[in-house]
Amino acid sequence: MQTQRVSVKFGGASGQGINTIGVLLVRALKRDGQRVFAYREYPSLIKGGVASYQVDLSNKEINSSSKYCNILLAFTPSSLNEYLKDVKENGIIVYDQKDITLTDEQKLYIEKKNISSIFLDSENIALEAGGTKIMSNVVMLGFLWRILELEVETLVNVVLKHFENKNIDLEAEEKCIRAGYDSATFRPEYAKKIDVPKKELFNNNNSYVMTGNQAIGLGAISAGVRAYYAYPMTPSTSIFKYLGDNAQETGILVKQAENEITAVQMAMGSMYMGTRALVATSGGGFDLMSETISCAGMSETPLVVILSQRTGAATGLPTWTGASDLNVALKASHGEFPRVVIATSDAKSSYTLIQKALNIAEVYQLPVILLMEKQISESIFNFKEMPRVERIERGLVDKVENDIQRYQITDTGISPRWIPSKEKKPYLANSDEHSEDGSSTEDSEETIAMTNKRLRKLEILAKELPEPTLYGDKNANLFFVGWGSVKNAVLDAIEIEKDSRKIGYLHYEYISPLKTEKLEELIVANKRLVLVENNQAGQLGNYIKENIGYEFKERLLKYDGRPFFVEDILDFLKN
Amino acid sequence: MGVKITDYNLPNIPTWCPGCGNFAIHASLKKALSELDISPTEVFVSFDIGCNGNGADLINSYGFKGLHGRSIPLAVGAHLANRRMTAIADIGDGGCFHEGLDHLVHTIRSNYNITILIHNNANFALTTGQATVSTPKNKPMYGLPDGTPERNINISEFILNLDPSFYARAYSGNPFQMGEIFKSAIENKGCSIVEILQLCPTYNREFTPEWAKANIKEIKEVEDYNANSIESARSVLTNNSPLYTGIIYQNKNLPTFYDSLECRKNSITELVDEVKTHDIKKLLKYFE
Repeated sequence: MQTQRVSVKFGGASGQGINTIGVLLVRALKRDGQRVFAYREYPSLIKGGVASYQVDLSNKEINSSSKYCNILLAFTPSSLNEYLKDVKENGIIVYDQKDITLTDEQKLYIEKKNISSIFLDSENIALEAGGTKIMSNVVMLGFLWRILELEVETLVNVVLKHFENKNIDLEAEEKCIRAGYDSATFRPEYAKKIDVPKKELFNNNNSYVMTGNQAIGLGAISAGVRAYYAYPMTPSTSIFKYLGDNAQETGILVKQAENEITAVQMAMGSMYMGTRALVATSGGGFDLMSETISCAGMSETPLVVILSQRTGAATGLPTWTGASDLNVALKASHGEFPRVVIATSDAKSSYTLIQKALNIAEVYQLPVILLMEKQISESIFNFKEMPRVERIERGLVDKVENDIQRYQITDTGISPRWIPSKEKKPYLANSDEHSEDGSSTEDSEETIAMTNKRLRKLEILAKELPEPTLYGDKNANLFFVGWGSVKNAVLDAIEIEKDSRKIGYLHYEYISPLKTEKLEELIVANKRLVLVENNQAGQLGNYIKENIGYEFKERLLKYDGRPFFVEDILDFLKN
Repeated sequence: MGVKITDYNLPNIPTWCPGCGNFAIHASLKKALSELDISPTEVFVSFDIGCNGNGADLINSYGFKGLHGRSIPLAVGAHLANRRMTAIADIGDGGCFHEGLDHLVHTIRSNYNITILIHNNANFALTTGQATVSTPKNKPMYGLPDGTPERNINISEFILNLDPSFYARAYSGNPFQMGEIFKSAIENKGCSIVEILQLCPTYNREFTPEWAKANIKEIKEVEDYNANSIESARSVLTNNSPLYTGIIYQNKNLPTFYDSLECRKNSITELVDEVKTHDIKKLLKYFE
């Protein structure tokens, strides 16, 4: 089965409701049986600027966007100017602002590319249908639905369901959708231009649409996280929203802290006490947390920190994606202590890996850094089944005998840990170097023994953690190697190319301690290996070199704040 | 009474200077806890870095010696996870008013049911005598032979302005009163702050027992003092002359943070009791 892809982009200003329209389209398409993926671009401001929401639909599972769109719905003149160049040949532009005037150059482009340029007087249509000005958005949505030649009832039902329990005139909303759908502006030739994947191929409604951050929230709830300490920082912030909005249902204590240091200190205090707590932030906030990460390593207190990356140093591009914080996840914090670094790639892996991260943190008594990216946190993924629930593993000892020592030296480096309670033996967690009972020490031999004990945990971890996953054709000659969201564009490209050439992809979820067996097999087999990363330095590549001395000769790197689009991979393969 | 003061003892040898106020502070804390019949396994104490933190392995209880300036949020996290534990944050004037002042402000505002013991010895002692907000201006200090050019902060007024649930002042040279204050602070339901005027014979030599005797008075000496009145409290703290010790201010009507959480209103368990696989089927409906 050939992959069919169509993409629709909404362009407008922040504060115009683009996001809501995008979510409604995603949900309606899913209901219709399409496979979808949705990606947002927006500036770091509240009102204005240029923002977009792109929905890609396909007859197969897709997890990345196209660089281009078949249909552009422009809500502002500036968004039309920004995104016109992305409209494909034979595409369609719909705009609803009377003051949009095209330059001669743009008119020429439209003509040359055979693009249909449609003005839809959505505001008037909304008012005539008995709605308000703001309902021009759903008029546009109705019109788009007509171009896609899909059943209007599906869209109406989804929109009404979405707005129920909100203070919105549902009757007017419905009239506006239908008015857009039935608009006289529509011409059958528009629909002919768009080759919508045929829905009878799938006919299943039992799939999910969610962002990576929502998946993290669900995974955390499932895994028994009972406290979430928040401080806002894009793109991690919506985890706070999801857990906060559902706190009444889940009973999770959600606390907005005064800063990231407080948030992570509270999490460490709660974890010491024996519940499961969580914090999430982005690069700057993570820097503030790094001293505490060292303290968790030293005191062997379980801790999970989610680091959802954006691009650039300092404030950088605060609302854009990137994967340039692997180095800081691997090396942040002073002193020598064990840590685990894991990276998610989509909603499903985020759901699974947050549960795994909590288990590892508790069993091995160390900090785990879970890397995400804005592309994972905020994009909407569509998939058939939720991954299975991970069994909770805590590594606690039940019986605490009197001679048991909290920091007892063991072969594995893992000491007995128990939940503080009235019946058990009290103990001190100590950021100073300490003896087996937790008391401070400056003794030479004890310092060596305890340092070795803690770092010994990495040896057993390196055995227990899985190798990277090999996707695609195992007999291929060309293998991409990467981590994070690059997986999605690479796998989508492999799927598109699978009838014409064999390509493989080695994906790192567990990055530190680093597993290299599978990679070394590919190296020994003399395969063509291409490092793909959403950063400038090729940070995973450099980490691999640091560990096994192998240097990637080919590197496909992107660091402009944009994710890898499927064409980025396809274009690379053409060369 | 089942709990003895000696239950709180550990065999470790203190490393404080002779005459350090910490000896009496620890003894008073152990006395207070045992007299309240709280056993060592029902207490969590977080320690800061500094001379106070060097007492972390001298008290037999659940404890965490964490990072400089952070003992308050650490105690809050522990407290929120399990309110069956008595949570105490131990910190010096340097950690509290320099490195981690934000935590003090927000913790008073949030009103968690914890006790904060501020060891105010008017300097950073463990790093050998740097100036803090309570070091007298112009007093020569480490690296500052002409003294700090900055003004002091009136700690007690600062705290009072945040409308705390409980503010008391103790003096390490008066351990019996200190022990009674600790008991009241622990029993108070809300954020209880005890500022301890702590003798530091090494780096704060001006603050001698003799000076204290002349300048420190117990609040009970003030006729008809009303600790429930913020105006009364202000009147004795503005000039701090004399320095009054005792419960200066208490507001029993402030709800605690936890009691104000809608989502925890009907919970009978603590967060530590709730770590298990939670069914997300109902939540998944939204994403279908």
